[in-house]
Amino acid sequence: MEYWKNEEEPIRAFLKLFEESAKDAELSSGLKKVNQLIWFDYTEDGPNCSFWVDCRNGNLAVGPGKPVEEPDMTMSLSADDAHRSWSNKLNPVMAITRKKIRVKGSATGLLKLAPKLKKVAQIYEGVLRELGWEDKILK
Amino acid sequence: MYGNTGRIIVVDLTKRLIQIETVAEDVYRSYVGGSGLAARLFWDRAVWDADPLAPEALLMFLNGPFAGLKLSGASRFSAAARSPLTGGWGDSSCGGYAAPELRYAGYDGILLTGRASEPSMLTIEDGDVRLEPAGSFWGKGALETARMLREADGKKWRTLVIGPAGEHLVPFACILNEGHHAFGRTGMGAVMGSKNLKAIRIHASKKGMRLADPEGYETLRSELNPRIRDALASDVLRVNGTAANLEGGVYAGDVPIRNFTSNFWQEMAEALTGSTLTDRFLTRRSACAYCSIACKRHVEIPDGPYAISQGPGPEYETIVSLGSLIGSMDLAAVCKAGRLCNELGLDTITTGATIAWAMEAFERNDLTVADTDGVILNWGDMDTVIDRVIPAIAGRSGSLGQLLSLGSAAAARKIGKGLDYTAQAKGLEVPAHDPRGGGHGLALTYAVSPRGACHVAFPMLFMEMGACYYPEIGFEFELEPKSAENKPEAAAIAVALGSIENSACYCQFADREITIPEWVALFNTVAGYGWEVEDMMAAGKRIFYLKRLINYRLGKTARDDSLTPRILEPARDGEPEGISIDFEGMKARFYELMQLDPEKGIPSAEALMDSGLGKEAQVVWR
Repeated sequence: MEYWKNEEEPIRAFLKLFEESAKDAELSSGLKKVNQLIWFDYTEDGPNCSFWVDCRNGNLAVGPGKPVEEPDMTMSLSADDAHRSWSNKLNPVMAITRKKIRVKGSATGLLKLAPKLKKVAQIYEGVLRELGWEDKILK
Repeated sequence: MYGNTGRIIVVDLTKRLIQIETVAEDVYRSYVGGSGLAARLFWDRAVWDADPLAPEALLMFLNGPFAGLKLSGASRFSAAARSPLTGGWGDSSCGGYAAPELRYAGYDGILLTGRASEPSMLTIEDGDVRLEPAGSFWGKGALETARMLREADGKKWRTLVIGPAGEHLVPFACILNEGHHAFGRTGMGAVMGSKNLKAIRIHASKKGMRLADPEGYETLRSELNPRIRDALASDVLRVNGTAANLEGGVYAGDVPIRNFTSNFWQEMAEALTGSTLTDRFLTRRSACAYCSIACKRHVEIPDGPYAISQGPGPEYETIVSLGSLIGSMDLAAVCKAGRLCNELGLDTITTGATIAWAMEAFERNDLTVADTDGVILNWGDMDTVIDRVIPAIAGRSGSLGQLLSLGSAAAARKIGKGLDYTAQAKGLEVPAHDPRGGGHGLALTYAVSPRGACHVAFPMLFMEMGACYYPEIGFEFELEPKSAENKPEAAAIAVALGSIENSACYCQFADREITIPEWVALFNTVAGYGWEVEDMMAAGKRIFYLKRLINYRLGKTARDDSLTPRILEPARDGEPEGISIDFEGMKARFYELMQLDPEKGIPSAEALMDSGLGKEAQVVWR
């Protein structure tokens, strides 16, 4: 991995990103509209390198690892590309076309979040600062 | 001959003479089919000084080699003629059901000349091709006519019909298949109307086709169909239609607003996006023949001022052209305006763009009520658009109808004002992707497209989006949409590939899932072309070149490879705010790469020779 020392680091950052995003009214509302159980699968970088987001039925919960229930959508990629993606430095369409991101299930809901990626990136930068990882911020 | 039938129906409507002509196999190998074959036939047969609406003018419908093959995305069809809107090369692509039916009936295309002495209909029933009177349908709407023709004589017919706009020779009238799928652009409906031809109906009793390598094709088909069906983009299109990502487009600055004066309107993004259409008005999804994507919509608005019965619903281009472009975010009104355009047989893109131009002209006082029969044109006034403006355009009625039925460029020229704020290339209005936000390469390909501003002539929109990766033909660019970097190089590939796609009559949503080697394998297993990758790309380049030669003979030069100032001025807001497009730089490099003469706009004699167009070079370079 180019940006992470171990498989725990990215999950720590990404979970905090979603917790902070949930505090933002616009992003929280956008996430709830997705209405899916999503598994972000980075296990190519370690067996525990993944997390889930459950935004079904007006709820918003996140947790490490694979969800107990079968996810509605699984997004598989490397933890480095996930870092680029949350930093808004990865074109998701290009990444899917070139098989850097593999999606299983319907991405219709997630498409609604695409316009919000810029805001997500701002929050992510704040999260990295808070974690003392300024060196990981992509410019 | 494999795949193609080699047979074309040639009709002289004046003489009521119907003949079946054959086309040699090497012509298909060189020009593929669809719009490429149409260009070849036009070059060989056109009366060059004929007005687009004169009896001598040609109107052609051509299949690609894959029509009827039960392959997702392969059921499109090309119509071509000299455009009454632009005066240059015109072609248009339509999905639906007519293409396979014509192939099953035993033909690759229909070539029409002359003018019938009375409103007529061409009936194609296997080997029986005949002209019939159609006076009882004249004046009727396109959907109504299609409904009446669909089931007659105990058979199911596929139909191509024009609405009143085509009858009135509105230069952006369209032709509709099944009252839903449109040959929308460049005014093919007016050309059909000028021939007094209200409809074409087709019925085939068998579905057999002869392929070069049936087993090889079947293996390929069994891989491609599930892949296309299961692709992420297909799922998104199936669920929420072609407007599925309208909201994302607004945030990128790709969606034009109020005649391209704005690139961001937050409230509109959710109001008009595909999921809103799904939630509010969708009654069912539908598809072109054999396509598993099913991006088409059927809608119903049961009550309210914009009530419409269950029927064809709007696609992305219609939603934007009759929505945000004219200042409306009322989705119900957009659905009704779109349905009205279909019934009247109008291209929704040029209709919306022309109304948007008129609204800005009215705001600037370049147009007044004296020009509009007292009609006040305000942004977003959908009641006026639906009740007064669109019917006036289709009927060319009153001062307003006569002016706006010219299209935006000719209307601006007629009043002597406002040409700078039309949004068009070669007289064809820019579709619903603003290149300032959607991608600067799109500005280049809008300008160099033979038919004028068009987002589907070439796959540049998809290339800039990141949806293309073709290492076999040198397309490995990671393009940044709002930049000129590598755009001419990408465009040089796009014009050849797009020419293949449109000559194969393949849908650009489905074909993103097909690799370049698979494209070649499709041509070889179906039509037996015996191609390598370079042969296919050479055919694409040849077709692009030939269309440029046609345009040159119709009076278009390098100066016409341009965009109006409105599209090239920096965006005023949104994601692309303040960014300029280096249009002239991109164009100069593209010309260099494609060996185009900087004044004539046509390929050098040497480039033409290299593309197998030596005889044609002698005509334009003598």
